[in-house]
Amino acid sequence: MTSLLDVQNLSVRFEVKRQSLFGKKSYLYAVDDISFQIERGKTLAIVGESGSGKTTAALACARLLDAHQGKITLDGENILAKQGEALRQIRSKVQFIFQDPYSSLNPRMRAEAIVAEPLNSLSHQTSKQKREVVDQLFDAVGLRPEQKRLFPHQFSGGQRQRIGIARALATKPELIICDEPVSALDVAVQAQILNLLRKLQREFNLTYLFISHDLGVVQHMSDNIAVMYMGKVVEYADRQSLFQTPSHPYTNALLSAVPGIDPGQRRQRVLLPGDPPDPVNLPAGCRFASRCPIAVDQCFTDQPELKARQSGDHLIACHLQ
Amino acid sequence: MSALLEVNHLSIELTTRDGVAPVIDDLSFDLNAGETLSFVGESGCGKSMTALALMGLLPENISRVSAGSITFAGETLNDASEDRLRQIRGNDISMIFQEPMTSLNPVFTIGEQIAEVLRTHQKLSRRAAWKQSVELLNAVRIPQPESRAADYPFQMSGGQRQRAMIAMALACEPKLLIADEPTTALDVTVQAQIFDLLKDLRRQTGTAIILITHDMGAVAEMAERMIVMYAGRKAEYGSVQQIIEKPRHPYTQGLIACVPHITADLSNERQDLLEVPGIVPSLKDFGKDQCLFASRCEHRSSRCTQQRPEEHQFSSDHSAECWHAVEYQE
Repeated sequence: MTSLLDVQNLSVRFEVKRQSLFGKKSYLYAVDDISFQIERGKTLAIVGESGSGKTTAALACARLLDAHQGKITLDGENILAKQGEALRQIRSKVQFIFQDPYSSLNPRMRAEAIVAEPLNSLSHQTSKQKREVVDQLFDAVGLRPEQKRLFPHQFSGGQRQRIGIARALATKPELIICDEPVSALDVAVQAQILNLLRKLQREFNLTYLFISHDLGVVQHMSDNIAVMYMGKVVEYADRQSLFQTPSHPYTNALLSAVPGIDPGQRRQRVLLPGDPPDPVNLPAGCRFASRCPIAVDQCFTDQPELKARQSGDHLIACHLQ
Repeated sequence: MSALLEVNHLSIELTTRDGVAPVIDDLSFDLNAGETLSFVGESGCGKSMTALALMGLLPENISRVSAGSITFAGETLNDASEDRLRQIRGNDISMIFQEPMTSLNPVFTIGEQIAEVLRTHQKLSRRAAWKQSVELLNAVRIPQPESRAADYPFQMSGGQRQRAMIAMALACEPKLLIADEPTTALDVTVQAQIFDLLKDLRRQTGTAIILITHDMGAVAEMAERMIVMYAGRKAEYGSVQQIIEKPRHPYTQGLIACVPHITADLSNERQDLLEVPGIVPSLKDFGKDQCLFASRCEHRSSRCTQQRPEEHQFSSDHSAECWHAVEYQE
């Protein structure tokens, strides 16, 4: 089966300020040699702590950051090779829903103008057609027509996120990248937005790249999950096998750290000691070794490869599995 | 033995452009030493206003305690002088804020900021206070505390900053620690570290904790009793165990059901999450003689929009303010 998005060996690096004028250039590999695929109509979630490279990977997929190495194929087209007008066409196929609905909407534009903005730059429609599209979008995300003329500050956080979602849908994109779409919202409103995202996915057969640090939300939303740590994918599996048999010690630590409400179901806490390693001077071995409760000598010298250790599609980067 | 903290019929008024709104409306609770009480609710429900009132830090000119009393260790706080409040704050009652980056002073080192608390309240010498702050940083498990005490806030990670905030809050071994969303800005693994730390410290020092949060998981993990706040009022109150097992107020039920919880048994059929439709009412609707949750409630009747619900006791340690909490449960 062919995937809508196919990312192969993607690396994204940032230049770190030199120590002196003639010092050696050093780089921070925010994303280091990762691969993943998403099928049309499905959701891939990328999970990890802050600084693990989730957002960087997503930005590279939308060509908002330059990839250092690797290949990103969207719907059969190599999007890293695109330039100019062809790149603009790609932009209408990949849209973003941002984390913070307060800072991602222009406060001086009316709601209808915000939603119509992608149409103005990425499509060739008459203003009448655009108005119709905006009307349909408002309806699809559950906003009332009379709210079109309002400014962002007149909306609540959840409603603003609905505007952000309508804007992302405007160009009928192939892929929607949801970067922590609910973590800035109140709990009761989170459920409304998550339900809306799933409803839209069913209606329009949308494909989501869903970035989150909340494992509960990820379990609810995703079909496949990639767990990232320090720029590497450490575990990659479908939803069932990841949550039923989490195998990488980091995934286990993440899962056990989530406080559950059911006292009987509480997991044995795997506490991670210390902090992550310095991303500029990464250790030679497994990047998780310094905090790993079960690390052996080999973990500090050899970097584990991401490969299938159990059944078919469940990939793990760990020497001990 | 009387409780460490007693709050009786507390009301707080906030002056807005639309008039005066009761942001806290007739709130009563108490807290014993060594106990953890949690406030839960959406933003705008009055959780943080309660905390500020306890600290005597309500925004001046626009808000005031309009009725009720706050009694802490036998002393009435709401008519205490500003000087007396200064003695209490940071010494007997201290607070951890949500955002550790904005609540630490960027131009002083971490060690200086902790030492300042000790020098002010315990009259320690500069040298003794510094030594003590290094020990406190060690107690909150910051590695190499001697050298890290000389770091500025920007040189620390988010989790370390929050641990430094906790060290500062605990410097004078307060009787009451107010934690206002202490882990919301942090990663889950760091959150787990902070919770373990708070539990250890509570065991060692007998500090009572008020935990303000919107995360039911955090409540179940940390607290013995909880208060669900809605629009400035107490919607439900009781032991955490009883409420999570059998929430009585429809708002509490919504709060618990609307969050996707991790389960090990998965089916391919995923139900939609239960929604609490709508949002918290705006301030101008606060204080009306009706159930303020009625507009979002599926059980509402005409009574709900005409009369404020009375508190109904389900057991000695469980009550809810809802006209229908009894009937539709059965």
